[in-house]
Amino acid sequence: MLAGKPTRWAITALAVLGLALVAMPAAFQMFDRAPKGARMIADFRPYMTVARLSGYQTELRQIDAAVKEGGTSVAAQLSRSSSSFATRFPDFAQFERQWSAIYPDMSGMLTTIRRNVGNYEAVAALPSFTLFPWFFVIPGVIVLALLGLGIMRRARWRSVRWALVALGLALVLAPAVFQMFSRAPKGGRMMTAFKTIETSGRVARIQGYFGEIAAGQGAVALELIPALRRSGESAAEISTDYPGLTTFDAQWVHILNDMTPMIGAMSDNVANYQAVAALPPFALFPWFFVLPGLLVGGVAAGGGLRRLRRARDESSSDVLSSSTEGVI
Amino acid sequence: MTNRSLPRLGVGLAALVALALAAVPASAGQLKGTFGISAGSYFRMIYPAAAKSKSKYFSNPYSTDADKTYTLVTGGTDGGLRTGVLQPAPTPAFDAKGNSLAGRIIRPTSFTGIDFGLVTLGTAPSISVSAGRLSGQLVGFTAQWNKLSFKQGSSDVSGTYNAKTHAYVLTWTSVISGGPFNGFTGYWHLQGKFVS
Repeated sequence: MLAGKPTRWAITALAVLGLALVAMPAAFQMFDRAPKGARMIADFRPYMTVARLSGYQTELRQIDAAVKEGGTSVAAQLSRSSSSFATRFPDFAQFERQWSAIYPDMSGMLTTIRRNVGNYEAVAALPSFTLFPWFFVIPGVIVLALLGLGIMRRARWRSVRWALVALGLALVLAPAVFQMFSRAPKGGRMMTAFKTIETSGRVARIQGYFGEIAAGQGAVALELIPALRRSGESAAEISTDYPGLTTFDAQWVHILNDMTPMIGAMSDNVANYQAVAALPPFALFPWFFVLPGLLVGGVAAGGGLRRLRRARDESSSDVLSSSTEGVI
Repeated sequence: MTNRSLPRLGVGLAALVALALAAVPASAGQLKGTFGISAGSYFRMIYPAAAKSKSKYFSNPYSTDADKTYTLVTGGTDGGLRTGVLQPAPTPAFDAKGNSLAGRIIRPTSFTGIDFGLVTLGTAPSISVSAGRLSGQLVGFTAQWNKLSFKQGSSDVSGTYNAKTHAYVLTWTSVISGGPFNGFTGYWHLQGKFVS
């Protein structure tokens, strides 16, 4: 049974907890950072699927097949030696050199992103990041409001304490309800994996790759394929003899349609990623609910127990003394 | 004041008014009409420093110029860029492959295999001339490519204008903010004849 009057230490502790909950989002700049996190999650959504990422990997393999074919069978067809081929087709030769660095870098990046699809889905399934600051502010305001009510109307303190205990219980249960204990650490793993991807330097490097791949495709479409045609091969023969080259050429617009918005999403979310990374580690997030919940509920339940015991002791001693008096 | 001094005063006031009007060249020199886009007009895209590209300029293999870092543009169905009015995008703005269908300012031109077009959105362009020098704003100037729009306008365009031949040259730069070309700078050089 909860006692009917507030103790001073309980009032102080609940006031501190309420204020801490209200102040926490401001202290961690959540009002600014959390909406950026929400934007990042939303912007990544179209790309964070196994199907889409597999598509990108297929496109990289198509480009790789074209580059390899260009440097071997096409070069053999069009020139007597590799050096004369490079002299005759300098743009392709330059792209071939650049591709040897682009391919492993882009493939590695896509592999990392693909490995984190499950982690992304876990974070995306959490309530919107935009709401996160309010998950602290609203309980904090409720604690302070109930406390104020309890102080002003001491007769209602017992009801107020029950409400505070219920609020504390809700805070303790919230992470379990939202599956935060499993989802938040996955979000943390995604953030760690993207640490080397969502940087302005990495994005600029990919922008550079984009220009190099575009120039390489131009060399294939406007130099190599026309040269093969001039060497006497028909379009059908080129398609049969050089499937890598023709696939890259045929797929180019699709590759541009596909890759350009992904680069845009990566570029647009560098600042959003940095904002989310500056928040406390994801794995701690459930405890930001559980610990205040335990404290609010515990203080509300415990505050006044001594007074209750004292009241009981006093009333029992009164009964004892009155009965003794009667005997005497 | 005598009757003889009144005409002198009138001449003096007229001279003052003429001087005052001459001192306001911006309003007097507004060029409202079409800046025709002719041969010699081009666009270049400059890599951001962070891209660490070997070339300063983005190379467009589909450019018709010998130097592929220059993408040449020619006037569209309106002949060029109009001041005082907007030249918005058609509906739809793109075909299925992402080629821009905006053909009023320039004829859509291939950039890496996909056509880009130009439109003016929001604020209508305004250009004025003073002593053969052009100045003004093209803040609504927008390039459309691959189902994306890139603000390429400027509040500070400059150039030259020959009042006799109506030949003009307009140049400006515009840094792309956001999207796949974030940090790139567009350099625009338009030339041709102005028609009011």
